[in-house]
Amino acid sequence: MPNPELVFKMFASGFWNTLWLSVASFAVALVLGAILAMMQVSPAPPAKWAAQAYTAFFRNTPLLVILILFGFGLPKLQLQLDPWQWALIGLGMYTSAFVGETLRSGINSISLGQAEAARSIGLTFGQSLRHVILPQAFRTVIPPLGTLYTALVKNTALTLVLGFQELAAKTELMINQDMASVWIVVGGIIACYLIINLPTSWFISRAEKRAAFAR
Amino acid sequence: MSNPSKSTVLFDALGPRGRRRVLIYSLLSLVVILAILALAGLQLDSKGFFESSRWVDALDALVIENTYIPGLLNTLKAAGLASVFALLLGALVGFGRISPIKFVRFIAGVYVQFFRAIPVLLLIWVPYTVSNTTGTSIDGFWFVVAGLSIYNGAVLAEILRSGINALPSGQAAAGQAIGLRHGQVLRLIVFPQAFRNMLPAVLAQLVVLLKDTALGYIVTYPELLKMSQQTASYYTNSFLQVLLVAAIVYFVIAYVLSKLVSFIEVRMRRKVPKTAAAVTAPVALTEA
Repeated sequence: MPNPELVFKMFASGFWNTLWLSVASFAVALVLGAILAMMQVSPAPPAKWAAQAYTAFFRNTPLLVILILFGFGLPKLQLQLDPWQWALIGLGMYTSAFVGETLRSGINSISLGQAEAARSIGLTFGQSLRHVILPQAFRTVIPPLGTLYTALVKNTALTLVLGFQELAAKTELMINQDMASVWIVVGGIIACYLIINLPTSWFISRAEKRAAFAR
Repeated sequence: MSNPSKSTVLFDALGPRGRRRVLIYSLLSLVVILAILALAGLQLDSKGFFESSRWVDALDALVIENTYIPGLLNTLKAAGLASVFALLLGALVGFGRISPIKFVRFIAGVYVQFFRAIPVLLLIWVPYTVSNTTGTSIDGFWFVVAGLSIYNGAVLAEILRSGINALPSGQAAAGQAIGLRHGQVLRLIVFPQAFRNMLPAVLAQLVVLLKDTALGYIVTYPELLKMSQQTASYYTNSFLQVLLVAAIVYFVIAYVLSKLVSFIEVRMRRKVPKTAAAVTAPVALTEA
């Protein structure tokens, strides 16, 4: 039996869960990614190797495999967490590898001349980082970080295998229990993803234009 | 890479004192990393992660023969077929996006925006469920191939378009000036040059496609992940170990392929200046 109110509630809760999971795991990914980028550009080889190994593993293993490994595998070691916690950890760690690479290439995209100029006028390490390198690196990494966020929003769909009740899991429920016609459900779900991702894409293209102008 | 006598963006070339300091920090970070690894290892060991009986099941010849190998073959089968379809679709839609006919451009644009906006998972799962409820039984394989082809077709179309747009507009203009038609300009002048620029991006996307075949798990297509999960549920004692082996197989394949892609990328970049310098130099002169 179609029940508009119930369907709306399903969409609303799925939307909310997708939104907060994507924002929270992106925050985790930014923190971890910043640490990874620092390790990658540090002059200490062991730190670099460790970051490279982490990045290589998480970039080259399917997200679904990571989620299943975490959510179903680790509990076998008496490590019990809620689905949302596994979802947060899995998505955060997976995305952090990509964020780390983006931040690293952002720093490396700055021409050597800029950094050398900063050092020759006597700026300390912290000063050249704060006044010369990071402001430029920040501008270059904003668009790719936005792209990573839109990918992350779509990746949250995979957490349905852990039983996390985000948009894709709600779709599954609504279709399986025949709450509304398939077309309404699918249309609604696509609208929900677009509501999250269209403003982000708009923001990315604006940031891209601004960065291009500033160069 | 970490040649201390070379200056980088963050650090100047190091003198003797700086080199000593870096050495100390290197040793310190090595100790910290080893400590973290040892701690994790001890934790895993205390939970029986390294018990040989658990690994014997996960690496048994029968399991390898009946789980990992057929699973991997199914993964490669789906990835191969989906790659072919995705490339064809990507070329079709990508050329549609730069077509001189406005309506074709519009349709291709809608296709790209639409299919890039929704998760691949839904592209595979929704048709699967709908066909299940209507009672037609189609193999999960086709849903994986169709979903991945449609999604990656949209992504590849975007790569094609940006590769073509990245060429200096003088190239196409020159082609039109000597009287070539739109199709001829694309085929003879624009595409051969754009192809070279976008090849690494296309190959990288195909590696992503290979990783995404793991979504076959959702539609119970017996690829590597699904097969491993089934075996893992059977050998409950070595559940984690079996899945870990599958993860390592995925990792090794994707890692080797992406290394190959970056190797190709580096080689192409090295070749370009020699041939392209002669072509771009006059353009740069007139445009400056």
